[in-house]
Amino acid sequence: MYQALLVFRYLTSRIIPLIAVAAVALCVTLVIVVVSVMTGFLDMLRSSGRTLVGDVIVSHDLVGIPYYEELITAIEKVDGVEAAAPVVETFGLVSMPYGVRGGNRVEMLSIWGIDPTRLQRVVDYKRMLYWQYPDDELMPTLASDDPRLDRSFDALDQAMEMRSPEGAPGMVLGIEISPFNQRQRDGSYRTAPRFGAPQNPDYWMVGQNVSLTVVPVTSGGTLKAENRTSMRIVNEFRTGVFQFDNNRVLVGLAELQKMLSLDESTQRDPVDGTVLGVKPARATTILVRAKEGVDPNVLKDRIAPVVDEFLAAKASDPAVLKAQVIVPAGIEVKTWEERLESLIGPVEKERALMRTLFSLIYVVCAGLVLAIFWAIVAEKTRDIGILRSVGAGRVGILAIFLAYGLVIGVLGSGVGLGLAALVVGHINEIHTAMGQPPPAAIAFAAAAAAFAAILAAVYSARRGSVLYTLLWLIVAVILGGLAFLFNYLRQTGGFTIWDPRVYYFSRIPSQLDLANALLTMAFATLFSVIGAAVPAAKAADTDPVRSLRYE
Amino acid sequence: MSETTPLLSGRGLRKTYRLGRVNVPVLKGASLDVAAGEWVAVVGSSGSGKSTLLHLLGGLDQPDRLDGGTVLFEGQIVSSLGPGATNRYRNRKVGFVFQFYHLLPELSVVDNATLPAMVGRSPFGWLGARAIRRRANELLGAFGLGHRLHHRPNELSGGERQRVAIARALVNDPQVLLADEPTGNLDAKTGQEILDVVRDLHRKGLTIVMVTHDPTIAAQADRRVALVDGAIA
Repeated sequence: MYQALLVFRYLTSRIIPLIAVAAVALCVTLVIVVVSVMTGFLDMLRSSGRTLVGDVIVSHDLVGIPYYEELITAIEKVDGVEAAAPVVETFGLVSMPYGVRGGNRVEMLSIWGIDPTRLQRVVDYKRMLYWQYPDDELMPTLASDDPRLDRSFDALDQAMEMRSPEGAPGMVLGIEISPFNQRQRDGSYRTAPRFGAPQNPDYWMVGQNVSLTVVPVTSGGTLKAENRTSMRIVNEFRTGVFQFDNNRVLVGLAELQKMLSLDESTQRDPVDGTVLGVKPARATTILVRAKEGVDPNVLKDRIAPVVDEFLAAKASDPAVLKAQVIVPAGIEVKTWEERLESLIGPVEKERALMRTLFSLIYVVCAGLVLAIFWAIVAEKTRDIGILRSVGAGRVGILAIFLAYGLVIGVLGSGVGLGLAALVVGHINEIHTAMGQPPPAAIAFAAAAAAFAAILAAVYSARRGSVLYTLLWLIVAVILGGLAFLFNYLRQTGGFTIWDPRVYYFSRIPSQLDLANALLTMAFATLFSVIGAAVPAAKAADTDPVRSLRYE
Repeated sequence: MSETTPLLSGRGLRKTYRLGRVNVPVLKGASLDVAAGEWVAVVGSSGSGKSTLLHLLGGLDQPDRLDGGTVLFEGQIVSSLGPGATNRYRNRKVGFVFQFYHLLPELSVVDNATLPAMVGRSPFGWLGARAIRRRANELLGAFGLGHRLHHRPNELSGGERQRVAIARALVNDPQVLLADEPTGNLDAKTGQEILDVVRDLHRKGLTIVMVTHDPTIAAQADRRVALVDGAIA
């Protein structure tokens, strides 16, 4: 009973415990903000990756999956499958319309052959396309001179048809492929011949002619003669994942199948040329989208036997045997997470590393509480003697200081959570404000306040107060530093930490990771109690007779 | 001395303190019997062991382990009780008053006065809180502090602080008041006011053991014992 009263009084009548609460709160805020942003970053990365590959991926090597349309029909009958779409994946050389002195430059890129309409059923293909008239969500975020506001730049239909208005085969480029696409702070792209130069329409990729060269592979794994086709860039896409956006181009599925000899053809006997049957078209990959709420891992386990059954049935089909079509013995079935492991894995590791490193904050937290409590116990030695003289036991004294530590931990964690929620929730606004040059008035006010603090320090020195002189000098240094900082920011145009020109998301993740926040709070509280435990034990061991002699 | 069983006794009390590497014997076999309702003044020069004797009698300190003597309360040995029982003894049977008042600065007057009653209750003993407060208010009112209930100790005069300390000592209705130089930090007039309070308590039947070095104060007690060289002379 008296413990609660004393904890409350000790907490409300001194400044030291408030410093401890503030220390714990700042530690908790720091950890929650860092881990929330990291988690958000990871979530955005995963979501962007998933956007491009769907939920489950059925894939085979460059030779491809024969009878893939029948396989897609079988997969779409699996419970939990929303849709499936074929893709042909390969590598190719693209002769890009830029280079030294107006020449071309050949880039080695990952080529995806897609059927836009079918792909749209599996992933949000349209949303990836950059050159389209903005929707209501995007519209307010665009700068007034953004070319996408001009409907003549809307190339959505071209990208859906994979053809230019003139009928040329279309190609959709990853937006980071062209070095002239310069990412801006608001997440948009501007074209300029070099960094910082004014926007130049000559460098827009849409409408430019390119040539694509691919090399077909035989079922035996040998290379055939290369195929080259001229294409027209009909749009650019952005997934938010750099590895995709700077390395991948999309072309029409049929076009690429034809170039890779994966299209349907007549199978002839190599000796006498008699027709054996039809050699079916092939796709290397089938992207599968799960129905809402279906776990991709569960779906993968349902799809894998269907694929195996299908292959086994085809391998023993007399028509297939007669046509001498090679049916693969097994095809890889992976969830999107497994497929993108090389992409997500490192970021997950980074998050774990950050969490581990920042967990050292808890030790700092415990150290702060220990130091502060040591001072409190030293100050309260006489109180401990008084309490013992009126019958309080050692356990009771121990309980006071442990409860004190617990309350400081809980309060600090609570305040920390509130602060973190505030910072994370408004992190983009804070960042935007920091990215703007501060008004001259603020820099001037800080300088004036610093000058006033110097005068106050001089006044305090003349009055002979060392403490106040020192405090005013510290205030003057801080305000002077702020004045210099504001002035510097005015000249440099603001301070941008999360520069979308470097990172591939235009907004900082602003979702509070609540589970992690609660864990952080629990640890901070635990370490506060641990920090308080040693001084509390010291208090419990205090000899009451000795402590009452202090006066 | 009363011929009946003394309420509080110290028999052959020895206490040695260690100062650095040196053992300093403070009490060397002091014995004292205090009858119920008696006011005993313990006098002696500074450093003679008066406060130590009071601490041993009040269970705040323990006699030397080896042949350190015993403290008896109502014939029961107190000095060898376990920690819990000793705490309860300090809480219920005796009340301490110190020279320097020893009030908790963060607590109000009434909270200071209720402290022993709160200590004596379990952490879940909130139900009796009102009765405790009423008792403290009565005592403080009787000592002329009814208008000071919610003040902090640093807002009170020395005499007022000592009266709060006496109220605190009495809040659990102990049988013995152990006062260590209760007027030692007060001017003569205020000191006499405190003695008047003590005398009044004595008149109502409270047993008092008071340590003082002032012969005029000791003269107001029923009995005066002198502590010389660690033993009762």
